[in-house]
Amino acid sequence: MTLWLSFVAAGVLASLAGALWRVWRGPRRADRMMGAQLVGTGGVAVLMLLAPLGSWAALDVALVLALLAALAAVGFVKATSPDGAGDPEEEEETPRRKADG
Amino acid sequence: MTFVLDAVLCALILGVAAATIAGHGVFRAIVFFIVYGLLVAVGWVRLGAVDVALAEAAIGAGLTGVLFLAAYGRLGREGAGGDAPAPAHLPAAMAGLGVTCALGWAWSALPLPDRPGPQLAEALPMSGVENPVTAVLLNFRAWDTLLESVVLLAALTGLWMLTRDAAWGGRIGLPQHVRPDGVMAGFGRVLPPLGLLVGVYLVYIGADRPGGAFQGGTVLAAVGLVAALAGAVRPPRIGATRWRAALVAGPLVFLLAGLAGAALGAGFLTLPPQIAGAALFAIEVALAASIAVTLAFLVLGPPEETITR
Repeated sequence: MTLWLSFVAAGVLASLAGALWRVWRGPRRADRMMGAQLVGTGGVAVLMLLAPLGSWAALDVALVLALLAALAAVGFVKATSPDGAGDPEEEEETPRRKADG
Repeated sequence: MTFVLDAVLCALILGVAAATIAGHGVFRAIVFFIVYGLLVAVGWVRLGAVDVALAEAAIGAGLTGVLFLAAYGRLGREGAGGDAPAPAHLPAAMAGLGVTCALGWAWSALPLPDRPGPQLAEALPMSGVENPVTAVLLNFRAWDTLLESVVLLAALTGLWMLTRDAAWGGRIGLPQHVRPDGVMAGFGRVLPPLGLLVGVYLVYIGADRPGGAFQGGTVLAAVGLVAALAGAVRPPRIGATRWRAALVAGPLVFLLAGLAGAALGAGFLTLPPQIAGAALFAIEVALAASIAVTLAFLVLGPPEETITR
């Protein structure tokens, strides 16, 4: 079982190289950010696989990683909005209102 | 098979570290830095240092990433950024190489530290907690931790000094706005309750298992940040007395516990076993609150909006 778990964990880790390739190549910023999010998800999976091998407290790390990987996505969306404090969906809304009016 | 696992992990960490400093583009470097934090957290778990892994996951992959992304956005808005190829910065590269070589030398030249042996096992029942990391941080090496918590406060004071006169007294950070029924606003309602639960849990279990004031406080800071960025709560004004009280609560309770130790005859910051358990719990709760508020305020930045008087 230990062997199998570490084999699967190594496989998941190796598959993250694909996400890293997307972070490196882009081309858009959102592509790179999504690559980082995929590494976050893969990291959670690896930590859950490692928990029975070492310490079950690795599950807590997985929990924190799952929560805080999402934080980077919020920070990205905020940082790339025109004034640094907005929401891309607001901009989508404005032209529609103009069309209605 | 665990060797293969560790080899893959090491290769990924080294590759991501190289990708962070190689090539052009600030944004790519930031994203690789976030990924680096994620992978190093997995590395710390493999080394059995779960406390460090929690801190790395919360700070390295979470808060620092948001800080860098906000700085990137600001550089772009002020026309100073962009992903145009920048000239190689030779002195910085040399300094970085020097630090790397010095660390490599220290690793090979310095003697390996002894594993915490019978001394720690003997002293642990006297410390008031069961997690050896918390015992060392808050009891045996209390000076270090007390001064660290004051450093955070000093960092925030330094940041607040950068506030423009016209903005002083306003709400901290940029004035945030979101589409009320949008994805971001929904995110701001779903994530904070879950994060609050995890943060309080981490602070609470710190006495017995990996976790504690720093890790839990960072998660709570992230919760506050998401709520503020998604427009669910408005950040407080810079002069708000209650929030200033929250900033100093941790160091203050720590100092009071230290004085209580002195009053009981054990010496300043030496907690006698009869009060150690209760004192450490009080320190942990107050410190977590202070760390959470300080980190969240640090990432939000000083007030930006000019207020009319």
